[in-house]
Amino acid sequence: MQDNYLAKWLNNELTEKELAEFKTSSEYNSYQQIIDAANTLEAPEFNSEEVFSGLKNRQLLTETKVVQLQPFKKFMRVAAAAFILLFAGYYYVNTLGEKVATEYAQKQEITLPDNSEVILNADSEITYSKKNWSSERKINLNGEAYFKVAKGKKFSVETDAGKVSVLGTQFHVENRENIFEVYCYEGLVSVSYEGKETKLPAGSSFVVIDGNIISYTLETASFPSWIKDESSFKSMPFKFVLAEFERQHNIEVATENVNLTKLFTGSFSNTNLDLALKSISIPSGIKFKLEDKKVLFYAEKAE
Amino acid sequence: MSTENTKNVCEDQVYAQVFKSHSKTVFNYIYYKFGNEEKARDAVQEAFLKLWENCAKVAPEKAKSYLYTVANNLSLNVIKAEKVRLKYADKALKNTHETPEFVLEEKEFKVKLDHALNSLPENQRTTFLLNRIDKKKYKEIAEIEGVSVKAIEKRMHLALKTLRSKIDGI
Repeated sequence: MQDNYLAKWLNNELTEKELAEFKTSSEYNSYQQIIDAANTLEAPEFNSEEVFSGLKNRQLLTETKVVQLQPFKKFMRVAAAAFILLFAGYYYVNTLGEKVATEYAQKQEITLPDNSEVILNADSEITYSKKNWSSERKINLNGEAYFKVAKGKKFSVETDAGKVSVLGTQFHVENRENIFEVYCYEGLVSVSYEGKETKLPAGSSFVVIDGNIISYTLETASFPSWIKDESSFKSMPFKFVLAEFERQHNIEVATENVNLTKLFTGSFSNTNLDLALKSISIPSGIKFKLEDKKVLFYAEKAE
Repeated sequence: MSTENTKNVCEDQVYAQVFKSHSKTVFNYIYYKFGNEEKARDAVQEAFLKLWENCAKVAPEKAKSYLYTVANNLSLNVIKAEKVRLKYADKALKNTHETPEFVLEEKEFKVKLDHALNSLPENQRTTFLLNRIDKKKYKEIAEIEGVSVKAIEKRMHLALKTLRSKIDGI
């Protein structure tokens, strides 16, 4: 008889010979009786649905514990984020402060907290901090402006190109593409350009065109001509004249056979377009064609 | 279970399916071992709760052995072995017209069998009852107990031998 023959017998794995032999043995009837009785045995009742719903409740309980903590965590996260945003926003507003900008063909007068005056020419922008003004008089300029500074602490104008510092004076700063101009009309202006400082007495100017420094004395003016709605130029390359013309009259300029590097001395009106067109074209010996918001300057023969 | 290979026990449907197919046997397994119905019920809940908590780590095909292992480990710590009380289906009695003497004999035999079952070593009793009541194949019992099929056959063989010797008073 093989190993564990009783287990094999229950599994119908005995050979016919083994089975016959087992059936003749004295124990066979006892085993058969045990198995017959055992086969009617039942395990205790197990209501799986009841246990499952109990299980679901306990799952919910454990999950609820987690949920209870989360709203607070979430709230703290949101509160922290809101606080940071508020603080950053407050700081940002405080430091950046005021911003004044002009469009094409626009001019604006601004009175600063210490009664210093700024006149912004067309397409220009200044920013300054109202809150910190008493401790630091500083303005960021992009474009062109005339300053009439009240006497007091150092007053500085910062541009991409250079920095202008004064105590109390009247001056003009222009910082546009490839051009940086400072005109001093009263007092003394200090210009710092590419790390070099230049003192500018009343009646003189500091001009950088395409990277070249040019300085000369003003004649009689006590303020820039554009304050009086006129744009004046002295030995200015023609392209800058046209750029200013575009800004003042909000017009699109095109050229044909015109030498843009030729120096121009003269002025044009910022209010009268017809007069301005003549003021530019006649002295330069060129002609113009005006069409709605576009003007074409052209020379009949190539120069 | 093979169709559930790609699924996760964390999914309610898969979890419910695992419960449906295994909870009853886990319950019986613990009951056969320790004889305490209430504790066996608790063990089923605890084991399934643990499975839920670790559902992401237990692959569906491993859920079965995980459940038996957890239920057994939990029970070992808390359950003090008691007498196993099993019921006998009475359909066998109704179907036959036996003499009163025979019925009495049969009753006496069942009392003896109960005693004998309770005196069996826990692993023999569990194997015997899983096979007889739950109709589990030796291979399945081997998986549940984490032993070889041969070991289960041995337990089964010994269980029968011990039962006979107890009942016959040899």
